[in-house]
Formats: sequence, C-alpha cells, structure tokens
Amino acid sequence: MRAAKSAGTMVVTLVVSSFIVFAALYAAPGDPLTFLLGGPENRTPERIAAVTEQYHLNEPFLTRYWLWASGVLRGDLGASMQYHQPVAALVASRFPVTVFLALYSSILVVIIGIGLGIVAAVKRSSRTDRLIVGGTTLGASVPTFAVGLFLVTVFALWLRIFPAAGAGDGFIDRLWHLTLPAISLAIGAIAIVSRVTRQSMVEMFESDHVAAARGTGLSESLVVRRHVLRNSWGPIVTMVGLVVAGLLSGTVVIESVFGISGVGKLLVDAINTHDFPVVQAVVLFMVFTYMVIMTAVDLVLPLFDARLSRVRA
Amino acid sequence: MTESGFTPRLVLVATVAAAALALAGCSAAAPQTLTVDFATSLPPAVAPVDSVVWMLNGEPDSLDVDEAGGADMSTVLANVCERLFQIQPDLTSRPFLAESAEWTNDTTLVLTLVSGATFHDGSPITADDVAWSLERHMLDESWEADEFDNVLSVAVTGEQQVTVTFSQPDAVFLQAMAGNGGVILNKKVIEEAGDSFGGPGSPDACSGPYEVTEWNAGERLTLQRSASYWGESTGVGAEEIQFVWGDETAVVNSLKSDRADGVYFASPGAAIGVGNNPAITLGQGPATNAWSAIPTRDGAASDPVVRRALSLVINRTGIAAAAFGGLAQPSKAPIGSGAWGFEQETFESAYEDLTGSPATPSDADIEEARKLLADAGLDSLSLSLVIATDGGSTRTVIANAIADAAKKIGIEASIITFPPQQYGDFYDDESLRAEADLFVDEYYISKNDPVGFYKNGESSSWANFTGWEDPEFDTLVRLAQSTLDDGERAQYAVQLQERWNEEMIWIPLVATPSTVAIDSTLTGIPSSSAYLYYPWAADLGLVEKP
Repeated sequence: MRAAKSAGTMVVTLVVSSFIVFAALYAAPGDPLTFLLGGPENRTPERIAAVTEQYHLNEPFLTRYWLWASGVLRGDLGASMQYHQPVAALVASRFPVTVFLALYSSILVVIIGIGLGIVAAVKRSSRTDRLIVGGTTLGASVPTFAVGLFLVTVFALWLRIFPAAGAGDGFIDRLWHLTLPAISLAIGAIAIVSRVTRQSMVEMFESDHVAAARGTGLSESLVVRRHVLRNSWGPIVTMVGLVVAGLLSGTVVIESVFGISGVGKLLVDAINTHDFPVVQAVVLFMVFTYMVIMTAVDLVLPLFDARLSRVRA
Repeated sequence: MTESGFTPRLVLVATVAAAALALAGCSAAAPQTLTVDFATSLPPAVAPVDSVVWMLNGEPDSLDVDEAGGADMSTVLANVCERLFQIQPDLTSRPFLAESAEWTNDTTLVLTLVSGATFHDGSPITADDVAWSLERHMLDESWEADEFDNVLSVAVTGEQQVTVTFSQPDAVFLQAMAGNGGVILNKKVIEEAGDSFGGPGSPDACSGPYEVTEWNAGERLTLQRSASYWGESTGVGAEEIQFVWGDETAVVNSLKSDRADGVYFASPGAAIGVGNNPAITLGQGPATNAWSAIPTRDGAASDPVVRRALSLVINRTGIAAAAFGGLAQPSKAPIGSGAWGFEQETFESAYEDLTGSPATPSDADIEEARKLLADAGLDSLSLSLVIATDGGSTRTVIANAIADAAKKIGIEASIITFPPQQYGDFYDDESLRAEADLFVDEYYISKNDPVGFYKNGESSSWANFTGWEDPEFDTLVRLAQSTLDDGERAQYAVQLQERWNEEMIWIPLVATPSTVAIDSTLTGIPSSSAYLYYPWAADLGLVEKP
C-alpha cells in the first residue's frame, strides 16, 4: 500500500514537472528555428517552411506537449533536434560518466564530510575544530566552477598531476580523470555534511543520557560510538541524502568546466539550443533519480536511528 | 555548410567563468596582446606523425552533411569526404572529383568525373552516385539546399558525366561544390544504414584519405588513414586522429597541459588563453568571418548619414585589442579577406581604396563625422542610439566602443542586454529588432566569393533590415551572380563593396581570422578557414625528422 502510494506520488511529480519544464522552455526567449536552421545562408523560405513543418514549430503549445507526451507513453522519448539521434540513446551514452562522477563525489562527501564532522565534534572547541569549521565555511561559500578552475590551474596546469579535461577510459583512468571534477563537486557538500554531523553530535554530547553513560565508567571512544554517533545518524543520513541527490544537478556546472560530455553538459547545451526533447528527458531523469534517492533515505533511516526504530517497533 | 555564425553552444556557465577571468585579468594589468603569424598555411611538415589528439569546440551534431552543418562536423568531414571541387589552403578552389566542369551554355553545366576514384568500401564513384548525392543535397529540408536554389535538374548524361541544368546562370555554384554541398556520397552505404546514417556507430559513406573508425558518443571520434585511398599520398599526414571536445576553458587547458595536440578555435580571442607558450604554435589565416554593427529599420541608425558618421569615429583597433586580445583585425569591409577566393589582387587593391572606416579615428575623422551630420541638417543632440548586447564579453565590449563613438559626435547612446539564447533571433524577429537600433554579430559566408555576402543588400533580401532600396545595386547583384567570368565578376563585386560602404548598410568593425593552435613539434596544416573542407590531416606532420 505504502509502495503503491509513493509510486503514485512519483508519477504525479514526473507529469507535473515535465509540464512545467515544457512550459518554461516554450516561454523562454529564443526561437528554436534559429538554431535548427544553423546559419545565415541557410534561411531560405523553403528551408524555413520544411524545418517548421518537421518539428511542428507552428503547432499550439498544448498540441506540442501532447505530441511529446503521447510519444513518451508509447516508450518513445523522441529524437534530439540538435543531434538527430533518439533521445534515449543520447542520454544513455552520457549517462555512465555522470553517474560515475556523482557516485565518486558522493563517496567523498560521505567519507570526508562525516569524518571531518566527527573529528570536529569530538575535539569540539579545540584548534582542530576551529580549523575544520573555518575551512568548511570557506568551502561552502566558493562557487563550484571557481573551485573547478582553481583545481585545474594548480593540479593540472602547474603540477600536472591530474588531467585538465576529459573523462578517460576504463576504471582507473576514469577515476584519475574525474578526481578533480569530483572534488570540485563535493567541496560544498562536504562542508554541509560535516557541519550537520558536528552539530548533531555536539548536541548529543551535551545530552543527559551521554552524561549517564559516562557516569557508568564507559571509555570515551565507546561513548562516542554507542551513544553519541548512534543517536546522531538521523539528521546526518537525511542531509547526506539531500546533498547527494543535489550533486546530480551540480554536474551541470562542473561538466562544462572540465570538458566532460555527461548528462549535465547535455542539459546545458540542450537548453541553449531549445532542444526540448533532450531537456525533458534529462530533467525527468534528474527528478526521478532525486526521488529514488530520497525514498531510499526514508527506507534506510530507521536502520540507523535508534529512536525511530523503537517508535516503529 | 554554415559554421559558427550563431554560436549555438553559448554556455551560460562558460560565459560566467570567462567573464570572471576577464575581470580578474583586467584588474591585474593591461589586456595581454599576442602577435601571431598570418598566412594561409603553417610551414610544411617534413615527416608523418603517428597519432594526434585534436580538440573540437563541441561534439559534431551528426556526420551527415545534409542533416547538420557546424564547424565541428566540417572539421572532421574535411578529411573523410571529398567534393566535386576542392578548396585549397589559399582558399581558391580546383576541380577534384569532377575532373572538369564546363558551361555548355549559361544554364547548363557538364561535369566530367575523374576515373579511378573509389569509396571507402572499394566501390567506384559512378555518375549515378554523383547525381544521387546532388539530388539528396537539393531536398528542401537538407542543410545544403540553399546552394541549389537555381538548379532545375541533375542528370546522368554519360558513363563519367553528369549534367546540371539551371533556371538562371549561377556563378557561385562551382564554389559551392567545394563545400559540403559538393560532397559525393556512397548511395549503397547510406541506404543500408537507413535512419541511423550520420549518427555514432554508422559507417561513413565517403572517399577521402581518412575513414571514421570509431565514434563513441560523448567521448571521442577517431579517424584512421584509409588503407585503400584512391588518391595520391602527401608523404606526410597523421596515421590516426582522435577528436575530443570541450568548451573554451577545457580546450585551452587541454592544450596547455599537453593532453591535446591542436585545435582550430571557434573565436580568435580564445587563443589568448594559450598565451606566449613555447610548447604551442599559434597561427592565423584568412576567413570570411567579420563582425559588423547591423542597423534596424527605425531609429537613428536607419539613417545612412548617421551610420557613415558613426563608422568614421569607431575605434576598431580598440575593439580588436579589448574584445579579441589583438587577434582580430580592424576591418574596412563587412567580410574577411577569406572571401577573396579568386582575383585576389583585384580585391586586395579595392580593399586598400576603401574609406570611411578608419582603424583608429583621427581628429580629422571626428571633424568629418560632425560635418556629415551638420550638412545633413541633423542635430546630434536630438539623436539617440540603442545598442544590443547579449551580456557576453565580446558583444559588450563592442557595444561600449560604439556607444563611446556615438558620444564623440554628440549622439546619446545606451546599451540593452538580451539573453544569449535570443540574440540570433535578431535576424528573424522584426519585433525584437524594434527594441534596438544596432545589433552586433559575426557574419560569415561558406563560399569564398564576396557576392555571396553583398547580396544581403538587395532590396528583396531578408537581411536588408533598414529597407534600403536601390535598383542599381539590385542589378549589380544579379549581374555578379550570373557572370561566369571571374575577372568580370570581381569587378562587379568591387562595385558592390563600394556601394555597400557608401551606404554603410552594415557598419564593418573587425575581421576575425581563422586561428589555429598546435603542438610546436607539429606543422603543415592550413591556418586559413580551408580546414573546414580541405583534408588537412593529410598535411599534418612533424616539424623535424624524428
């Protein structure tokens, strides 16, 4: 019942967002014809007529939405106006690199973000704590593309440790190519996750039950693991879920900076050229992934949170 | 056949990043200027090279010339496909797959094909393939359809002969046959591939010195030297070319970190990012591209007197330096010298004689501009100009330069910003044009013949935005388009150019040459815009013998 309900919510969200995106693209300035014709010499009346007809550019808004939506219902996402390839194939070819990048970044966020948060909380009010809090504040405030450009200049152009652009072949090469992009993408998220981890744990340290646990003579490391951390997981996992789901849209910026042909870059280009079947597919893909991640967070949360599992039980 | 005109891949992100970098650069020191050799080619190579990585400014949209155009696709297909005529690095063209082309009368062209030419699958190029290819390019929805406007029919009239019949004489048709409109395709391969032809994974249907061996969508496109190539070997060239792509930042960073061997830039300004780097050679050569200020129907700029006065006081050297790091050239004409694909001396001397568009305005120019307005009874204080920019650094710098010029002669000027995605609509949307008096754009033509540009001033032309009408000009355009003799046609073109500048139909600003960056161990390729249609990879090679 619960699964059916959330699947229903998902479908409604997808339909509504597809309509909103379609409408936004329709209302956005710029005529798709300009891009479809290509260049100034190509705008002969015959060609304008042929292209307008081919892409239904003269049809009313709702007709065009229905043309697209009925295709999707039949399992056909349409063809890209720019690349002339089926949208499904186009997105599928860009998909692996973006997922790799988002996963790589997520792992960095989880390990470094939570790790720094724990260190800061355990050593709260120390120099280390201040350093971590200061560093993450800086990390959260610098725009992603600026971080990307900075990392490229230092690690690709000066030190030449990492490549400046591209996605690489095979697992190791790809890991190497995507390290700078993944770090750029992760930095803001690391800052947020470490702050939430720290805050959540600091509150626990001050709670009565931790004081009681200490009173029983447990070692500090056991106190941290069994009582502080265990009871702090709720907000941490929720925040990690939100942040990781947001990483996917962060790829839009970072893929352009690092010359990676992923789903994010595809979306930017498609918006700029009014390639609406591609925009629709990519946005729906992102919305869908976001919802899947958030649902997953809802499902795993009870496993982490002692209080929630007691309540359910 | 059209390339980067409307810069369809304006990426918001890159623009923001570039603007941020530009700001950082400005505050530190005066803008960096580079001096780069200007020639039709880089010095010849002495030895072949094994494998190179070449950057494109974006992934090709398609590898089917009838489905897409764009510089990225053309840069690749220049090496893969062959045309009835072939453009040379100096931008003249010569017969190629057509051994000869003879006008038997004003409207009948007989093409005789070379013998022995074969497609990549080994099958011979027949007259049937040629006729079929031209008919495919002629279809209304085809990218190349405009080249065939005057063509009535194409017929096979002999084993090695195809006859094209025209509705009226068409002097630029042979030029067009050196572009993508003249590509000869293998009918069998295309019919077998069906709808997937042109996309990743489909075979190429061409006959050139390179074959497409891999197109891994989103990652790379690889060409390899065709083992069965029918033509002569150049003795140099690359065995393999791997094309990868990215935005300007990614392109420049890949070159600087030695991850890529070369690029033909989308805009000369991008080469500033490479800077004075001993590991990278920069080169520039002729292209037809030039930036102009284009007037709209109403408002002060619709008056030719105002345009002439404005043209006299625009600091073109300043635009070239500030918007293009010195890699563009102040221009007296609305198209670059790459348009001079024949009778080059005639065009060169006619260009020298052009007046009214100084590189750096002198006091005398400013005086003359003021006098022009006064003589016409125009009170400059009552005039105002609205100049459109897209918020990007290039157009904003240019718009500011024009506003500055207007102020010098007492005309009030303001700048209005439109979204980059909308800017291209200035050509099509009259209501958008009503919002500005001048918009600035880079224009280019795909054929190396000035007539192809000056026809934009015809009273019936879609690009004649002020509604200017001059029967004499119209007659000249028609004469030039139908005069098959190059010498005579050049004379007409020169007259059109003079007339255009008298009227200042568009105000010429700067010419943007073709710009190449290449690893300094490599050389041999054209630095002119010939790279779009000429098999440049076969000329690529090492500077020194290994």
